[in-house]
Amino acid sequence: MYWVAGGFIFRRVDSPFHSLDPRVKLLISAELFVVSLTAYSVTQLAVVMGVMLCIAAVAKILKRVGRTLVFSAGFSVFIFVINLFARQSLLTSAIYSVRFLAIIISTSLFFITTSPDELEQVMKSAHLPRDVVFAFTTAVRFIPVLMLDAIQIVDAQKSRGLEVEKGNLIKRVRKMVPVLIPLVVNSVIRSGELAEAMESRAYGAVPRPTSLNRYSSSKRDKLVAAGSLILFIITVYIYVRFPTPL
Amino acid sequence: MIEFRDVTFVHQTGKTALRDVSLKVEKAEMLAVVGENGAGKTTLVKHVNGLLKPTKGTVLVDGEDTRLKSTAELSRKVGIAFQNPDHQLFSESVEAETTFALKNFGFSRELIDQRLNWALQFFGLDEYRNSSPLALSGGEKKRLTLACILAWDPEVVILDEPTVGQDAIQKEKLSGIIKMLRSTGKTTIIVSHDVEFIWPLQPRLVVMSQGRIVADGPAHTLMGDEKLLEGARVMQPQLVKLYQRLRRRPDSPFASVNDARMWITGPVGVG
Repeated sequence: MYWVAGGFIFRRVDSPFHSLDPRVKLLISAELFVVSLTAYSVTQLAVVMGVMLCIAAVAKILKRVGRTLVFSAGFSVFIFVINLFARQSLLTSAIYSVRFLAIIISTSLFFITTSPDELEQVMKSAHLPRDVVFAFTTAVRFIPVLMLDAIQIVDAQKSRGLEVEKGNLIKRVRKMVPVLIPLVVNSVIRSGELAEAMESRAYGAVPRPTSLNRYSSSKRDKLVAAGSLILFIITVYIYVRFPTPL
Repeated sequence: MIEFRDVTFVHQTGKTALRDVSLKVEKAEMLAVVGENGAGKTTLVKHVNGLLKPTKGTVLVDGEDTRLKSTAELSRKVGIAFQNPDHQLFSESVEAETTFALKNFGFSRELIDQRLNWALQFFGLDEYRNSSPLALSGGEKKRLTLACILAWDPEVVILDEPTVGQDAIQKEKLSGIIKMLRSTGKTTIIVSHDVEFIWPLQPRLVVMSQGRIVADGPAHTLMGDEKLLEGARVMQPQLVKLYQRLRRRPDSPFASVNDARMWITGPVGVG
């Protein structure tokens, strides 16, 4: 479980992609998201996937993206099967399921390479309400904590004879009840304690608290942002100008 | 009963948590494992019920290799009470919580009733039988986790940091339970930072540091070794400190009770 969780958690890595302005990373991720979502042929999907894997290689996160793909593979297969049931062709079903994986990678590229602090700055720069920014970034920060909690809960229940890996799908889902209840209860208790601790440290006392971090884009950031925008426009033009039927 | 043979364990993150650990625990023995945070104490005990399998070496429980057994099979013999009760309580009632493992192990209904009644009465939880475990106090939750483990009568009982969050009275009760376990022939392993709690039990002591066992022997011998404990970042019990200071004192009796009190509590006394 921890192996899979590692695919979703930010870790500081010394790479050209990590050092980009988080707003540029968000822009690239958003562009890749749109391009993945609107891709409608095998060639287009192959090119988009290739580009994203190249970026992952530059960012030195290829293995971790692999873990994300392993986790998402089940959902992808589900999408494939559902489409087959809905009388879509084999190729169309395959395109839908690969498109789903492409969308996952495009968002992972941003979240794996952006620290919660950077994420907070990006959201603040978009003038989102402070409470929304805080709630979102705290949720992101708590993902690794919850994963560790889940591992400890599974260990505790396995020590009481619970065999989570045994049985058919329905039995396995039912066996998750002893894991999910303590996890949810702990999370609720923890969020209550966090809220009290934050209020005790004057959270919300002033409408505009002091901000210590100010991001300024370097020449390199601007060049990368401009380059990615140009490529994005060209791709959209190709999609519109040369439509390929499914 | 339990044997570690040159066990090394490397986490998936690449961190080595145990290094060439060899240890033998006999039936009915009481063992306390002490050491700094991250010394590998919890990793060590998680090998006993197969939650973790050694990267190198072998762990034997009753002569059986833990790698060949599932955690559920090993748990029938080895009960672990984890540090945080909130990590295991989930049922709608104390009764259902206590019988959870018994049902998993396939006990008969009669035996489940018998064991349930014994466990709830022994731990003073009978009045909460139909209450939600989540509504209990911290001490009661801790007692419930112990009741859940002892209900299936495992041969080995492992307590991971049993005194965390417990007041003095609860610790006293816990100490009594551990003594009872010893008298009934259970193999007991206590993982704890609380040397004041461990000292009166006089167990066999295993001192761990950086994934290795740095000392193994009777508590009364090892607790007196200030350098050893300092190296493993473990405090000496107050009584041992006092004893050692008294031994170092020049051979002259105290002039008065007040003189003794001043010596003990004053700047040259036990710190």
